Amino acid sequence: MADLSVAPAHVVARRRRRDWTAELLSLPALVTILAVMGFPLIYLCWMSLNRWSMVGFEPPRFIGLRNFAQLGEDGRFLDALGRTFWFTALGLASNLPMGLGIALLMHERFPGRSLCRALLILPMVATPAAMGLVWVIMLDPTLGIVRYLLGLIGIAHPPLWLADPDLVVPTLVAVDAWMWTPMVALICIAGLAALPSEPFEAALVDGASAVQRFRYLTLPMMLPTLIVAAMLRLMDLLKLIDIVYVMTGGGPGHLSETINLYNYLVALSYDKIGYGSAVALVLFAIVMACTVALIRMRRPSL
Amino acid sequence: MTRTRRRQWLTAAAAWSVTFALVAPFLWMVMGSFKTTVDFLAFPPVFVFAPTLDNYRQVLADNSFLGYTLNSTIVAAGATGVGLLLGVPAAYALARWRRTAIGVVLLMARMAPGIAFLIPLFVMFLQLQLVGSYLSLIASHLIFTLPLTVWMMVGFIEAVPVEIEKAALIDGCSVLGVLLRIIVPLTVQGIAATGILAFIASWNNFLFALVLANDNTKTLPVAVLGYIGYNSIQWGTLMAAATLITLPVLVLAFCVQRYIVRGLVAGAVTG
Repeated sequence: MADLSVAPAHVVARRRRRDWTAELLSLPALVTILAVMGFPLIYLCWMSLNRWSMVGFEPPRFIGLRNFAQLGEDGRFLDALGRTFWFTALGLASNLPMGLGIALLMHERFPGRSLCRALLILPMVATPAAMGLVWVIMLDPTLGIVRYLLGLIGIAHPPLWLADPDLVVPTLVAVDAWMWTPMVALICIAGLAALPSEPFEAALVDGASAVQRFRYLTLPMMLPTLIVAAMLRLMDLLKLIDIVYVMTGGGPGHLSETINLYNYLVALSYDKIGYGSAVALVLFAIVMACTVALIRMRRPSL
Repeated sequence: MTRTRRRQWLTAAAAWSVTFALVAPFLWMVMGSFKTTVDFLAFPPVFVFAPTLDNYRQVLADNSFLGYTLNSTIVAAGATGVGLLLGVPAAYALARWRRTAIGVVLLMARMAPGIAFLIPLFVMFLQLQLVGSYLSLIASHLIFTLPLTVWMMVGFIEAVPVEIEKAALIDGCSVLGVLLRIIVPLTVQGIAATGILAFIASWNNFLFALVLANDNTKTLPVAVLGYIGYNSIQWGTLMAAATLITLPVLVLAFCVQRYIVRGLVAGAVTG
């Protein structure tokens, strides 16, 4: 138990007066955060309760929760919502196993390992808008390199990729996976490096096969790392917009429109600011709910 | 012995194939940027060709591209500089006094879709007649550069031994003095890494500039869309422009590769 009577004089003195140093140091940052994040969010909530447009001459009109009620009847919104979950599911299902696979590979010792790992960072730092367009060229159905490479392995009539209604979402997920699977891999590499070696040595002595070691040691011990990676990917996949905007603009039709893209279009292109604000709040709530649900997953199963 | 050797080579082959596949789009991009239109439209694609600098000449002869580059640089440098100026003291406070409130703010900023801030900011900046100004772009980019800076710097500052600061405080140094004379010099590498990551995040940002910039303040990620025309195939120039846009980022990223993932955890607000 701490005994205050033997504490040095200046510590006691500091206990008496409230110490404001920390607040003063973080005040400028806090004020800025309130100005560019806090206040806009409150304003957003207010706008979502109004019929609001910038171009028209009508002033904003308070309509209560009618924007939110309208969401339930907006087919394009509901489609975009479902499609966003489809994007997210495909993204997680591809990124996590591939990322872990690459990490297991790069965890081994081999010549040139550190250069390999360094090159992994390139896809995730390159400007997504520019690389999206590079992929558009590579995926071109007539002249693209992808068509040529598939031809080499005997696929003479590859699909139209971004113009194919059934394949546009998987194609975009593949480009997104190219950008972000290396990040999952790097997170897993760090996780693998932090695992204790004793259980693996013991398993080797006991004659466990590689599959058994992976199933009963690596996978359960890597679960917390995988959940962190999944959380990051989940947050970004639910908000996916950049590459969709530059590669398809939501097309063909609206078949690749994500909820974030729809949100952008409805609020800032179609000038339905109030309705768009409601969409933005719903999207925010979805990202938060999914993230919290994922964090919760960590506890009960083990 | 030979078995482990063989296994090592197999691993190397697999790992290098994966890495090559991931890097291939960059190689194809750079290759394409040196191709003439004729070479570009050849099918099957040509891998050996007489390189030309025409694409780069065309991109750079267009004054607007240099203007967009300047815009990107101003916005990214501004958002990075202000982020560091405000973020480093806040990170110091967070590291030494353990205020958890900012941690919650950081997580919220990471989860929130950019559009949730963009809609109200657009309306506010419109009323202030600031849409299209550098100020609006820099202020909006602070939404991700500031949390990123705080998040990164807390880690760097926590690694500085507290004893040095205590000694300085006992010798009569003020808290601000400790920050400027001890923390900043001792974390200078961390500050550089953080600054580079913030710069990259700002440079790459697409959505914020799409909404808040006008034709004069457009940044590169938005401007590059102009190269994909409806009727014309300007693939060579597009590849050259894409190369010029991504190259600085790739070089910067290589300098801070150890910190990339930590940075992405905090600051990849994409949309």
